[in-house]
Amino acid sequence: MFGIFKPRTFFNLANTSIFWLKIIFAFALVVGLILSLVFSPTDYLQKDSVRIMYVHVPSSWISLFIFLIIGISSFISLIFKVRVFSVYAKSLAPIGLVFSLISIVTGSLWGYPTWGTFWSWDGRLTSMFVLVLTYILYVSLWSFIKNYNSAEKITNIVGIVGLINIPIIKFSVAWWNTLHQPASITLTAAPTIHSSMLAPLLIMFFSFCILSLIIFLIRYKYEIINFRVNKK
Amino acid sequence: MISNFLNMGGYGLYIWLSYTFAALSLTSLYYFSVKKLNSIKNIEYLYQSEKIEEVSVSAQANRS
Repeated sequence: MFGIFKPRTFFNLANTSIFWLKIIFAFALVVGLILSLVFSPTDYLQKDSVRIMYVHVPSSWISLFIFLIIGISSFISLIFKVRVFSVYAKSLAPIGLVFSLISIVTGSLWGYPTWGTFWSWDGRLTSMFVLVLTYILYVSLWSFIKNYNSAEKITNIVGIVGLINIPIIKFSVAWWNTLHQPASITLTAAPTIHSSMLAPLLIMFFSFCILSLIIFLIRYKYEIINFRVNKK
Repeated sequence: MISNFLNMGGYGLYIWLSYTFAALSLTSLYYFSVKKLNSIKNIEYLYQSEKIEEVSVSAQANRS
């Protein structure tokens, strides 16, 4: 059932695709930055500070998406005993941690000129903070527990429990009164953001996705070689 | 013109800090990931060469 996820398939993919992914990433990043910083219009309320959105929103999306994959991989690893899924999760976790930190820091820097404060313990910000703590816990457990099997089991549990926070983050702006604005882009409705702002946002998101994939493949190669070396 | 661009309508400090933080974090993540991979690649290489040595020694032993 999980044959497509064989380590060798991903290892070969990593060897052959990283060079081309780097070229696509560089191109997308340059186009995204030019559109974000030069050509995208200013917001009628937030003026130029809206340009922080092109880093903040893609980072938040990626940090949430990566934790979703970690949770699902942890579940498959724990229930079906397919070990490679915990390797996927372990390789992805530092990437998700960095993107969640970028989301928090850029959000604070955007919050000060628009809300008048760097931080507020409201629903969205607190749930994002919990996500950062969950990432730190997950990465730390892999570092501090020396026995691979124990680390795998415990981190799988953390990954599954941490999944509870994902819908809380997503719907926090609807459930509670928060400083944070509601989502402008959803999967179920047309975006409420103008195309001149949507284009750079999606291009920056695409470039961050490609960068995440490059770093994931590098870390995955490391984890597989590390696993083989330790087995010897 | 350049100072206008850097100033970003008075929000330059927040915007450039955000972009710089993101760039530094992602560059560090990439750098340390590559460094980690390169360090273990050397170990893998040593293991492989040890293995080749073991095979050649055992082949020599078989011949003699």
